[in-house]
Amino acid sequence: MSARSPSPPNPPPVAIALIGAALPREERDELLADLRAEHAERAATDGIAAADRWFWHQALRSAPAMLRWRWRRSLSSYESPANAYRPGGRMLKHWMSDARYALRRLRARPSYVIVAILTLALGIGGTAAVYGVARALLFDPLPYEREREIASFYFAGSWTEQEFLFLRGIYPHAALPGFRQVAAHRHADVTLREGDAPTRLIPGLTSSAELFDVLGARPFMGRTFRTGDDVQGAEPVAVISYGLWKEMGARASIVGSRLTLDGTPRTVIGVMPRGFWFPSPEVRVWIAKDLDPNGQNGSYTLVGRLAPGADMGAMAPYLERLTRTLDDRFDYPAEWDKTKDAKVTPIREELLGAMRPALIATFVAMGLILLMACANVAALMLGQVEARETELAVRSALGANQRRLTQQLVVEALLLGLGAGLAGALMAVAGFGVLARALPLGAWGESATFDWRMFAAALALSLAAVLLVVLVPAAALWRGDLKGALSRLRTGGIQGRGGRLERGLVVVEVALAMLIASGAALLVRSVSNLYAIDPGIETRGVAVIDAIASGALRESERMNTIEETIRALATIPGVTSAAAAMKIPLRGNGNNMGIEVPGRDNGEQPSTYFRVVTADYFKTLGITVTAGRTFDVSDRPDSAEIAVVVNQALVKKFFPGEDPLGKVVGGGYRLRQRIVGVVENVAEGDLTDEARPTRYFLGGQAPWWGTRATFALRAANDEDSERVLDEARKTINRVSPAMAIDATTTMARVFDTAVGPARPIMSLLTLLSTLALVLGAVGIYGVTAHFAARRKRDWAIRIALGLPAWQVVRNIVSQGTLLVTVGIVVGALGTLALGRLLASFLFGITPLDPVAFAGASVMLLAVGAISALIPARRAGRVAPASALREQ
Amino acid sequence: MTTSEHAPLGVLEEQVIVAVLRTASEPFGMNIRRELERVTGRSVAIGAVYATLDRLEAKGLLSSHRAVASGPSRRAFALTSVGARALTDTQAMRERLWQGVDVSRLAAMARA
Repeated sequence: MSARSPSPPNPPPVAIALIGAALPREERDELLADLRAEHAERAATDGIAAADRWFWHQALRSAPAMLRWRWRRSLSSYESPANAYRPGGRMLKHWMSDARYALRRLRARPSYVIVAILTLALGIGGTAAVYGVARALLFDPLPYEREREIASFYFAGSWTEQEFLFLRGIYPHAALPGFRQVAAHRHADVTLREGDAPTRLIPGLTSSAELFDVLGARPFMGRTFRTGDDVQGAEPVAVISYGLWKEMGARASIVGSRLTLDGTPRTVIGVMPRGFWFPSPEVRVWIAKDLDPNGQNGSYTLVGRLAPGADMGAMAPYLERLTRTLDDRFDYPAEWDKTKDAKVTPIREELLGAMRPALIATFVAMGLILLMACANVAALMLGQVEARETELAVRSALGANQRRLTQQLVVEALLLGLGAGLAGALMAVAGFGVLARALPLGAWGESATFDWRMFAAALALSLAAVLLVVLVPAAALWRGDLKGALSRLRTGGIQGRGGRLERGLVVVEVALAMLIASGAALLVRSVSNLYAIDPGIETRGVAVIDAIASGALRESERMNTIEETIRALATIPGVTSAAAAMKIPLRGNGNNMGIEVPGRDNGEQPSTYFRVVTADYFKTLGITVTAGRTFDVSDRPDSAEIAVVVNQALVKKFFPGEDPLGKVVGGGYRLRQRIVGVVENVAEGDLTDEARPTRYFLGGQAPWWGTRATFALRAANDEDSERVLDEARKTINRVSPAMAIDATTTMARVFDTAVGPARPIMSLLTLLSTLALVLGAVGIYGVTAHFAARRKRDWAIRIALGLPAWQVVRNIVSQGTLLVTVGIVVGALGTLALGRLLASFLFGITPLDPVAFAGASVMLLAVGAISALIPARRAGRVAPASALREQ
Repeated sequence: MTTSEHAPLGVLEEQVIVAVLRTASEPFGMNIRRELERVTGRSVAIGAVYATLDRLEAKGLLSSHRAVASGPSRRAFALTSVGARALTDTQAMRERLWQGVDVSRLAAMARA
C-alpha cells in the first residue's frame, strides 16, 4: 500500500447523504467513518475513481438493508444499550425529553420554583460564603513560606527590647541556637492621620527588622524591612497591608510617601500582597521599631524560623542553651522566670488555635441551616409529587416504570439544583462581605477573598443537596401505591391520611431551627450576663494611653513627669478630666500586697490588690465613692501617714459592720495607711472575677513602681474618646519627651477585650437563627398549605354541613403547631447533647438554661403558628360549592 | 437439552457471528465486513452487516459495548451464551443434514 496522502479524498457527497438519510441517527457517525476510512485506502491503492465507484456500490447496496433496519427498529423499539448515550440514543432522548418536560412543569409553577430555589440558595450561598471565609483559616496554608518551620517562642508577650537586643548581640542576624532567624514583635494600635481626615486608630504591629524575612513574605509593592531599619536614629519606616492601601486610594505612589503614624511621619516602604496577614488580619500596618538596648518595654513575642534540620519537637537542647545565656545575663523574678518552661509553639497553633471553636460553631450552624433548606425543598417536592399523584398514576398506567418516573424527578431536582447553585453563588458573592464582617472572626474576615472555588463549592453543594433532597420524594414514589391513586380519583379523592414523611421533615426542620435558636439564645443570655456585670467603672468616653517612662528618667522625677503630663492632658479640648494609674481595671490581676489590720491577727497573711493612682483617677474612670473622700491636696508627699482609699470588698472582709473611715492599716509600705474613703468594687482583675479587696494609693505619697503608666482621659462625649488620642499623644511627646507611648486605645475596647469571643459568636448565631427561623417558617407554611389543600374537599363538605370557618382555621393551625411542638422537643434534646460545644463560651448560665430554651421555643412556636395561620385562614374562607366542583 | 430456538441461523447471520469470533481482538463492524469479504471473496454491503449485527443483538445472540478506537468510539461485539448455543446448534443441524452425503462424489459431479 502506498503512503496515504495527508488529506484523504472525500467520498461522493451525494452517496454520503444517501447513507446518512437511510441510517438510524445514532449509527451514522460510526458507519460513515468506517466507509470513509476504507474509501481513503482504496483511493490510495486503486485510484479515486475506483474508490468512488466502490463507495456508490456500498451506498446503493446497503440502502435497502438499512431501511429495513430502521423500519424494524421503529416496530420493536429495540435500541442497543451501547448506543444509549449517543446523540439520538435512547437514554439521551429520555433525559432531554425529561428536561424539557421538567422545564415546562417548573414554568407552570413559578411560586414553587422561586421558593425552592431561594430556600436552597440561601443555605447554599450561606454555606459557600462561610466556606469561603473559613477556608483561609482552616484549610489554606498560612501566607508564609514553609509555615511548618515557623514557631512562636516561649513566653509569648513577655520579652523586652533589651532581652531581644542582647540575644541579637550574641547571635548575629538573630540566628538564635536552633533557629535560622528570630524576630521580635508586639501589637500596637497606632493613630493614623491623613490630610484633613480625623485621626483614627488602626491596629498595627511593631517589630524588629527580621520579621518579614522570618516569615518569608515578599511585598506586593516596594520592599519590606531590612537590617538597620530597627535601630535608633534610623529613618522611621512602615509597611502597610493591601487592605489599607486600597482604602487609601490604591495609589502606586504610596511607596516612598509619608504617613503620620502615632504622630511621627513614617516613610511607607512597601505594601504587602492581598491575603497576607500577621499575626492577625486585623493588623494593617507594620512598623520597624527603633529598638532600645536598655528598653524595659516588655510584651514582645518572638517568632522564629527553625534552622535547617531542626525539628519542632526536639528544640529542648537549643532552648536550654538559650535559657542559660539569659540566666547569666538577667536576674529574673520568680513569676516571670524565662529560664523555666521554655518551649516553642508551631505558628499555626499559636495564631489560629483560639479561632477554632468559633469556626467550628459557625460551620455547624451553617451546615444545620443547609440541612434545613434541604428538608424544606424535600417537603416542597414531596408536596409536588403528591399533588401530581394522579398524573403519575396515569403515566404509570400508560407504561412508564418507576425508574423512568424517578428519573424525571431527578431531572427536575437537578434543574432546581442548578438554579439554586447559580442563585446561591450570587448570594455568596453578594453576602460575602456581610458574612465576613458578621462572622466571629472580626478582621479575620478581611483575609477571606472571594474566588471561583467558592462558586464551584456552591454548585457542587447544591447538586449534592438536591440529590439528597430527591431521595425523599423518590422513596415516596417507590413506596407509594400509584394504582390506588387512580381508584381514589374515582371516589372523589377524600384523603385524610398521607403526608407523614412531609410532616416528619418539618419536625426535623423545626428541630434544627431549635438547635440554632437555642444556641443563639444561650449566647445572648451569656453575653448579656457578661455585659450586665458592672465593672464598677464608666467604660464609655474614656481614652486610654499606655506609656513607658524612659530608663533615663530617674525614679524621683518620674512622678513629677506623670503629674505634669496629666495637667497638660486635662487642657486638651474635649477632655474633662485626666488621670494615671500603674494599671487600669479589666487587664488582669496586677500587683498584690500584704495587709496588716490591727486587731486582726489570726495567723493568716491576707493580701489585697494595690493600685497607685493619681488624684482624679476615680472621677476619670467614673468610680463611685460610697463613703469619705478621694485624694486631695491635703494628701501631701511628706505626710507622716499616707491616705488610702479602699473598696467595699475590703471593708466587707476586714471591717464588717464597722465604719472603716479613719482606721489605720499597714503592710507593704512602712508608713501607716489611714483609710480616707471607700469606693465601689471595680473589676480590677478580670471581668468575671469576684470582687477582691483593693487599696488605692496616691502616686507621690506612695512610690510609683515600675516604669509603666496608663493615662486615662475622660472625654466630654463618647465619640471624642478616639479623637482626643492623637492630641494626647502630641501633648505627651511635647510635655514629657521622656515618656514613650506604648499603645493607645479606649476603655470600651478594653472592656470588649475582657468580654472575649462570646460576643462575636453571639452576633453570628443570632444572624443565623434569624435565617433558620425564616427557613422554618417557609417549611411550616408549605406543609400546612399542602395539608390544607389536600383536605380542601373534606373541609368544603364540613363547611357545607355547617362547620364554622374558625374551627377549620383552628384545626389547621393546631396541626401546624403540633408539628412545631414536636420539633421543639426534639431540637431541645439535641441542644442538650450539643450544649457542651458552647459551654466554654457561657457565663452565668448552664447549657441547660431554662430561660434560653423557653425563649427559643416561644419564638419558634410564634413563627410556626403565624406560618400556619396564613394557609389556615385561606382554607377557612373556601367556598364549599367551588371546592366541590373542582373535582 | 432442547435445540436453540434461534437455530438454524440464516446464512448471513451465521457468517456474521463466525466473523465476530474470527475478529475477536477488534470486533468492530468494519472489521467484520472485511473478514467476510476476505473469506467469501465477494463484496459485502456494509449496511447489511450493521443491520444484521444489530438484529442479532436485539435477539440476544450478540452483545455490544462502546470501545474507543481511532476516530469515533465504536460498538464492539461479542458472542453471548444464547448466541453460542444458536451457533453450535446450527452447526450440529448442518452436520446431521450432511450425514450420508458422499462429498467426494459430489465434488466429482461438480467437476464434470
